[in-house]
Parts: sequence; structure tokens; C-alpha cells
Amino acid sequence: MTSMESGGDGGKWLDAHYDPVAGLYTFSSCVDLADLSGDGENRLVVGDLGTGSSGMKLKVYRGTALMSENTLLDLPAGLVAFFMDLHEPRIPTTAVASGPCIYLYKNLRPYFKFTLPSLEVNTLEQDVWQQAREGQIDPLTLKEMLESIRKKADVPLSVRSLRFLSLETDGLDEFVQLHKQQPIRRQTVITCIDTLKKSTADEDGVSCLVVGTESSDVFILDSKAFIILSKMSLPAPPTMMDVTGQFDVEFRITVACRNGNIYILRRESDKPKYCVELPSHPVGLVRVGKNVLVGCTDESLQGFTQKGKKLWKIVLPAPITTMAPMDLPTRGFQGVLVGLANCEVHLYRDKNLLSTIKTPDVVTSICFGRYGREDGTLIMTTKGGGLMVKILKRTVVFDDRDSAPGPPLAQSIRLNVPKKTKLYVDQTLRERESGVAMHRAFQMDLSRVRLAAAKAYVKALESSLTPMSASLSEPLKMNAVVQGLGPSFKLTLHVQNTAACRPVMNLAISFLYDENLYRIRDPYMRIPLLVPGLIYPVGTFVDCTNDKGITDIIKVFVLHEGRSSPLLTAHINMPVSEGLALS
Amino acid sequence: MEVTMDPLFLAWSYFRRRKLQQCSEICTKILHDNPYDQAAWSLKTCSLTEMVYIDEIEVDQEGIAEMMLDENSIAQVARPGTSLRLPGTSQGGGPTPAVRPMTQSGRPITGFVRPSTQSGRPGTMEQAIKTPRTASTARPVTSSSGRFVRLGTASMLTNPDGPFINLSRLNLAKYSQKPNLSKTLFEYIFHHENDVKNALDLAAQATEHAQFKDWWWKVQLGKCYYRLGLYREAEKQFRSALNQQEVVDTYLYLAKVYQRMDQPVTALNLFKQGLDHFPGEVTLLTGVARIHEELNNISSATEYYKDVLKQDNTHVEAIACIGSNHFYTDQPEIALRFYRRLLQMGVYNCQLYNNLGLCCFYAQQYDMALSSFERALGLVCSDEEQAEVWYNIGHVAVGIGDLTLAYQCFKLALALNNDHAEAYNNLAVLELRKGHIEQAKAFLQTAASLAPHMYEPHFNFSILSEKIGDLQSSYTAAQKSEDAFPEHVDTQKLLKQLRQHFAVL
Repeated sequence: MTSMESGGDGGKWLDAHYDPVAGLYTFSSCVDLADLSGDGENRLVVGDLGTGSSGMKLKVYRGTALMSENTLLDLPAGLVAFFMDLHEPRIPTTAVASGPCIYLYKNLRPYFKFTLPSLEVNTLEQDVWQQAREGQIDPLTLKEMLESIRKKADVPLSVRSLRFLSLETDGLDEFVQLHKQQPIRRQTVITCIDTLKKSTADEDGVSCLVVGTESSDVFILDSKAFIILSKMSLPAPPTMMDVTGQFDVEFRITVACRNGNIYILRRESDKPKYCVELPSHPVGLVRVGKNVLVGCTDESLQGFTQKGKKLWKIVLPAPITTMAPMDLPTRGFQGVLVGLANCEVHLYRDKNLLSTIKTPDVVTSICFGRYGREDGTLIMTTKGGGLMVKILKRTVVFDDRDSAPGPPLAQSIRLNVPKKTKLYVDQTLRERESGVAMHRAFQMDLSRVRLAAAKAYVKALESSLTPMSASLSEPLKMNAVVQGLGPSFKLTLHVQNTAACRPVMNLAISFLYDENLYRIRDPYMRIPLLVPGLIYPVGTFVDCTNDKGITDIIKVFVLHEGRSSPLLTAHINMPVSEGLALS
Repeated sequence: MEVTMDPLFLAWSYFRRRKLQQCSEICTKILHDNPYDQAAWSLKTCSLTEMVYIDEIEVDQEGIAEMMLDENSIAQVARPGTSLRLPGTSQGGGPTPAVRPMTQSGRPITGFVRPSTQSGRPGTMEQAIKTPRTASTARPVTSSSGRFVRLGTASMLTNPDGPFINLSRLNLAKYSQKPNLSKTLFEYIFHHENDVKNALDLAAQATEHAQFKDWWWKVQLGKCYYRLGLYREAEKQFRSALNQQEVVDTYLYLAKVYQRMDQPVTALNLFKQGLDHFPGEVTLLTGVARIHEELNNISSATEYYKDVLKQDNTHVEAIACIGSNHFYTDQPEIALRFYRRLLQMGVYNCQLYNNLGLCCFYAQQYDMALSSFERALGLVCSDEEQAEVWYNIGHVAVGIGDLTLAYQCFKLALALNNDHAEAYNNLAVLELRKGHIEQAKAFLQTAASLAPHMYEPHFNFSILSEKIGDLQSSYTAAQKSEDAFPEHVDTQKLLKQLRQHFAVL
């Protein structure tokens, strides 16, 4: 492994390995570190999501090299390594949760598959399929009946019925023939997985598996016999989970759910004990000591107590992509690593930023722990499939830079205010001396300007010169755009009805122009009904018939049927025609 | 007995007094009597050239073809301060668009309108063919055909017997051997006939005849290459001419070539080199100032304009540019001084009074402000100018709190110039104050479509939409505003607020 100083974060980390084309596409929940062969050297176990539809693999890395690869059948939702028995040598088992099953691997070989119990099936649905099997009803009737069951029933339909309902009419018969013999089952899907020590808090004690499912349940499974030890239900499907304690003594499961709430489950009850309502959706959940840290979609990191009391909130510079705990028991250090969308990884202890790691790509998964024989190893995978390994320097000291007291930094920056010139001082003197005369002159000028403006305004209104009409019954607005190089121009008029809710009808457009200079293709156009608020483009073509480079104004009138005076007028200054000179 | 003057001498005298029409008529008579009179022939070509002569250095407008189909541009993302094409690459010297308005190309508006200050580089073909508001003509298609061809052919119409010299029958090789005739003939072909290809032929043969030792021919060759868009060849010719003879004109031509090749730093170095040979040369100093201005480095542009004024204290462009810079850096009283200087020099037009009025108002010299605008209104020669005056009066009316007058003024500005985006924007704000939300929305949309480079309509639309609860429109408008003016703090705040709003459950 090479050791190179990385400058961005004050030299706290050593760059051990970076492979930008490792082809690892995964999230923090599918990465773990474990001593898979019992030789005291930790391996990296990754559930690779592949392309999302194919190429799902269970990969194991040793040092910088890929050690083994097992193909997975389905997308992994979570991966944990744990001890399921007390046999020597102490070799952990890898559990991969995907779909409704948990696949267990021992010594990197498939060992056991556990499927969650299926859910209760709607009896009506069962009856309907029974009838279909016996040929009493045709597929169309089946579809109608299933549709009505879906609307009314409390128990949701099975996946098969839902798939059937989404089919087109011509595929129905085939589907029924293919599937009608099998019994109906309703399966749930695992959303998150974690481990819980059974009775001892030892590092290598036997653990239970804790599984969260799409059906809003949390199961605790005994790892020896694979029976459900405990079942707890939540108000919403869980998405992330953190478990602490021992099953036989006391435990606490913190679950972030899809409804944006965090629930805390305890040993005694099968219902959540505490609930935290977040201001936005959680994207990461990490327990540090006795506090729970939650990263939210509003670019914030929030700290809560075990009982769900909010402690603090900090705003991050970019959206969070992933979070992972950083636990260094040898030095008594506990923190949280937060991957951000601006290609940075931040290390926080409580709300204090300790270190910033710049990465070449956006980090999607983070795992910190013992890798190989090195205790403080940070493993990250990137959006582009890269693998990055960094080692925490042994000499590093993290000092809390708490938010510095005193005035903010911006206060000491001088503003660039121009100096008051001597000229200005002279002018103020003049103002002071002859203030009254100046005021009088200004007031007189102002009255004159008001008069001039009012005169011009009245003239403009009388001849409807403005491009917006002032009348209350037809509040219209128009602007014209001329495009082209000539001799042919495209003239587009954008007409808009600015009334709140009344449409305008019976309008027409007409032009006034010098016929020696221009020819307009449609000199009279009718405008369709104008719905308020929308902009209606009305276009026509103007041909310049003159080659002397002379330009003129074209006047556009919007007219109302049966009225002689125009509603509004626009003057278009035509550009010089360039085209004739070319031909 | 009347003593008649020698007709050739009379023609020469007319030529010197710039009575070019009379001069050419007399020459025509002489040539009618003696078709082989070389002096008369030469004088006639000179006078005909002078009639249509335009300053090659000053007239420079990039056509659509040069801009959109540019083969020379290589680096699309140039480093800051090395390209004229990226208006955003300001070096921190310029004011923000919140203080100084922007042109369509994203540069702060200048104090003096030159051919290149209006143009800028449009981002899309649609923008390029749209008629810009400030110039009442569309862009020429290419600079080698549009304008120049018309200038050349216009003189042909006045000549019923056909052209004076029939180029197709001209033996260029023969004329190129005669140095005394070839130079005037070249200028005639280049300026009057505007036949660059023949001019190039003649120049090439003549320079060969002069054994490549005449710098004048090299400059002419460079001019021809420049017209044909062969900038590298033009550069070579001008460089070689400069090696033989240091001439200010050649420096200016060469700098023009470099600007066209988008190498402002090279052009600046060249100007510096030229200033070493010709210290204090006004045209060179002006060139430096212009390049700094186009690079958005207004403060150093102002320094160079001040140097220009030290040499030539009646330089209108320098005075106007320094004045406008002072106005936009919050020193209207000094700007007022500069504009008054222009007035003393005899510049007497609507724009100047318009500027004076605004300066007076912002320098608190209220007694002169409105009378200046009245003068400006009296001097207008087009509707656009009148619209600008009314627009400024509208600003004064907003300043004194007379919103009725302001409303009328902005509407008048729109009546006179339908594409006045700023007036649409301000009118929208006034309508919003009156509570006419639909109207305000329509005006803001129009302003935004007329001038996508302005951030104000987008920002106002964003605020309006946010107030009526249309957060999606507000967000898109705020993003457009951010594109137009990335440093605008209020837009940033609004965007942050909206993002928070979207993230909240």
C-alpha cells in the first residue's frame, strides 16, 4: 500500500488505494468488514448492485485485490456479517437480504436460505382465483372482480393479482392459464437488516438478525433455529434501522420510516415507544454513543437523544448522499461520516466539523472500521463505481473547533464606498444657499413635465398607440418580434389577454404599411378566442420589395369587430433587408 | 479676355477642397478629350474613392456568418481575461448588473456607442437573427457582403454610362508595373468597386514588382486578406509591413486582426509595442481602453481613457466613457462635469441632454434635471430616443414618488418603442403595487422574453409567483435570474428559501 499525504484535510488521512474503475455500485447498507477466514485479517464484503437489473454480486476484497465473487439472484437490500454459533474457529456468517429472503453464506459458500412468512391472503381473492381455476369465470370477469376487491378490501391483493390487473386485454387468458394452478401467496420484501447481540455484549457473541419489511413490520430472528423471536409493527414501512443492546437483556431499535418519522422500539412492547417527526425525509441514520444523528433531505444533520428529544441541527453545504458511523474504540473516538453531493466527505463529532475529505467523485457508500490489520480504515465507493481506501493517521489529533464566539467575519470587511468629492461638497453648499429657488424651479418644471406627459399620454390613448389596451372590457397586451435577414422577414405578434378570468372574442389584426416597400402575406388576420393568461403567437411573413436598403415602420392594429377605432397599436421598426444584396 | 485656369489644376484644387463631384466632372471632360491622360485618370480614381471612403479601422461589425460559423474559435471555455467572447470573465474591476445595466451580450453598457459595442456575441442563432432593440437594423449577414457591397454598388447607380473603369477588361499585370498608377487604382478597386478579389490580385502583383520591399502594398494585402476572413495571412502581411516601417495604421489593423481572432491579450501587447514607438498616440491608447472595456475591466479602461484625455482633451469617446463610469460608480456630480464638457465642445443632441438630466437628478441639482429632459425631448429625432427620454423621466418620477406620472411615462416609452423591456419591467412593478397581478405577470413575461439577459424581470416574476403560491414557476424564474446575474444575493436567498420549501414534508 502506498502512503501519500492528502492535502485537502490537513493530512489526517493517508491515501491507501484508489481504483476509479473497480465497478462497485453499492450503498452503505450493503458494505461490511469481517474476518471471514478467521485469520485475524478483515475482509471487505460488498453486495454489488451491478446495473440494477443484472450483475448483482457478492464481492469480497482482501487488501487491494478482489478475492471472490458470488452471483446474487436479486438486488441486495442489506448485508451484515455476524456470528451465528459458538463453533471454533470463530468465522462469521454473511447474511444478504434480498426480496423476501435472507441468504446466508458461510466460508463464502451458500449455506442457508430463510424466507419470511407469507402474509395473510384475501379470502375473496382466493375464491375468485379458485373459480377461475375451475373455469367458472372468464378472465375479463376475473379482472372486474379483482378490481372491485382491490377497491374495497382491507387486505391488499397479492402480487399476482396486481400484475394481472395491469395486463392488456389480450394477455389475460395466457396469464390465467399459466398461473391458475399455483396457490396464491402474498410476500413482503425486506427493506433493511441489522444484527442484535443475543445475550452477551462481547465482540464475538452470537447475534440475532433484525429485519424490517415493506409490510411495516420488524422481525427479530434467532440465528440458530431461524424462528421469529419477536415481531413488532410500525405505522409505516421502515427504511433505515439502528439496533443497540442485547435481546435477552434490553435493546433499542431506532427505525427511520418512509413517512418521514423516526420510531424507537424497546424490548417490552411491540409498538413504538417514542416517535420523532422530522421536518423532511431522512436519508441517513447513525447512532453515536447515546445520540441518534439523522441526515435529512433539506441538507441538514440533526441530533436527537435516545428518547427522541432534538438536541441540535446544522446545515450542510450540499445534499447528503450517505452516512456512516466512525467508531475508533482504541482511542475512544466516536463520530459520523457524511458523504455529500459536492464530492466531499465530512467528519462530525456532535455538531463540530473535524475533517473534510475531498473525493474525485460523489461517494455513495462509506464504511469505517478494521480492514486487513489496520484499525482505522475508511472505505468508500463512488457513484462511478470507484473504490477508495484511506487510513486514519495514528498521530492525528481531532480538536473541536466549536463555533468561534465574537462578531462574524463579515463585519471586518470594508465596504467600497466612494469618497465624497469636493465637487459634491460644493454642490451641497449651493443647495444650502439657494434651496428655495431650486425647489421652486423644480416644482415648476415638474408641473410642466406632468402636463407634457399627460398630453402625450392622452394622445397615445386616444389613438390607441400603446401596445396594451387600457379598456376594462378587453385588457390586451401585444408585442411583436421580427426575425430574419431579409428580404423575407418573419413577423410574430404575441397577443395576451391579461384579464383575470374573462375570455376575449371577435378580434382581428390588420396592418398599415408602405405598399411600395413591403408586402405582407396575410394583411388581415382573425384572432381566435383568447383565454386569459396565455400568450397567443400570431405570425405572418413580410417581404421587402425594395433593394435600396430603406426601412420603414409597419403599424399593427388589433381591432374589435364592429368598432372602427383600434384597441391597440404596435409600431414595428423593420430592420434593413440584407438579402437582396446577396442575390 | 478671360484667363482660363488649367483644368487639371482646377480639378486638383477642387479635390483638395473636397468638392469631389466637381473634380470628377472636370476629370471626365479632360479624359473625354484625351483618354490617355494619366494624371486626370489618377485624379478621377482618387476623387471617386474619396466619395465613398470609410475608415477601415473604425468600421467593423461582425456579421452573423462570422459569429455563428466561426472556424477560428478553438477554446470554448477560455481562461478568465483572455477572451472577448465570454462576457462573464470579469476581473472584478467592473460594476455588477445591479448598478450598471447590461447589454444583450452580457457586458455593462458603454458610454459611447461604437459598431462593436452593440454587437457582442449572441448565444443562439435565434438571438442572432432577432432585431436588437438598441440598433434599429438587424445584423449584417456577413461583413464581406452586406454593408460593403451596398456601399460599392450605390455609386454605380449614379453613373448612367456604366462604371468608370471596367474591371473585367483591366490588365492588372500592366498596371501593377506602374507604381504611380497602381496605388490609386488599388484604392479605387478596394473602396469604390469593393472587389476584394481583384484588389488582392493587383496588390499581389504590385508587391512582387516592388520586390516585396514596399510596406504599403503589404498593408493593402493584409487589408484584402482581412476582408476575405483569412486572418492568419493578414497577420503575416501586417507583421512583415511593420518590420519594414512602423506606422500607426498598421498597428491598428494588426490589433483588429487579433481581436477578430479573439486574442485580446496579444492585441494589448501589440498596442503596448506600438506605444513604445509612438508614445501618447491617441488611437493606440483608445484601442487599449476599448479592449479593456470589452474584457469587462472597466477600471483600467477608465485609466486609459484618462491617458487619452491627457493627449487630446476633446476626445468625445473618452469623455463619454469616463462620464458614464463615474455615473455608475455613484459619483454623478463628476459625471455631470464630463457631460458639461461635451456640451461646451458643441455636442448638442438628445442623448447628451438625457444623460445630463439623469446626472442632475442623482447629483441633487433638481432645478436643472427636468429642464434637461425637456431639452432632450425637443431634440429627439426618432421614436426610440423619445422612448428613452420618457423612460428616464419615469425613473425621476419614481424617485420623487409620483407613481401616476411614472406610470404614464413608462407607458409612453412603450408606446414609442414596443420592445422596451426595462419599461415593461418597471410597469409590471407599478401594476403589482396597484394589485393587478395578471397584468403584472403578463408584463414581466414580455420583458423576460424581450430581454433574456436582464435579471430583473426573472427575479420580479419569481417573487410574484412565490407570493401567489406558484412555487414551481418561481423556482424556474429564479434559476433564470441566477443565470443572468449569478452574484445577486436576493436571488440566492429566494432560491435557498424555495429549496428549503421543496425539501420540507
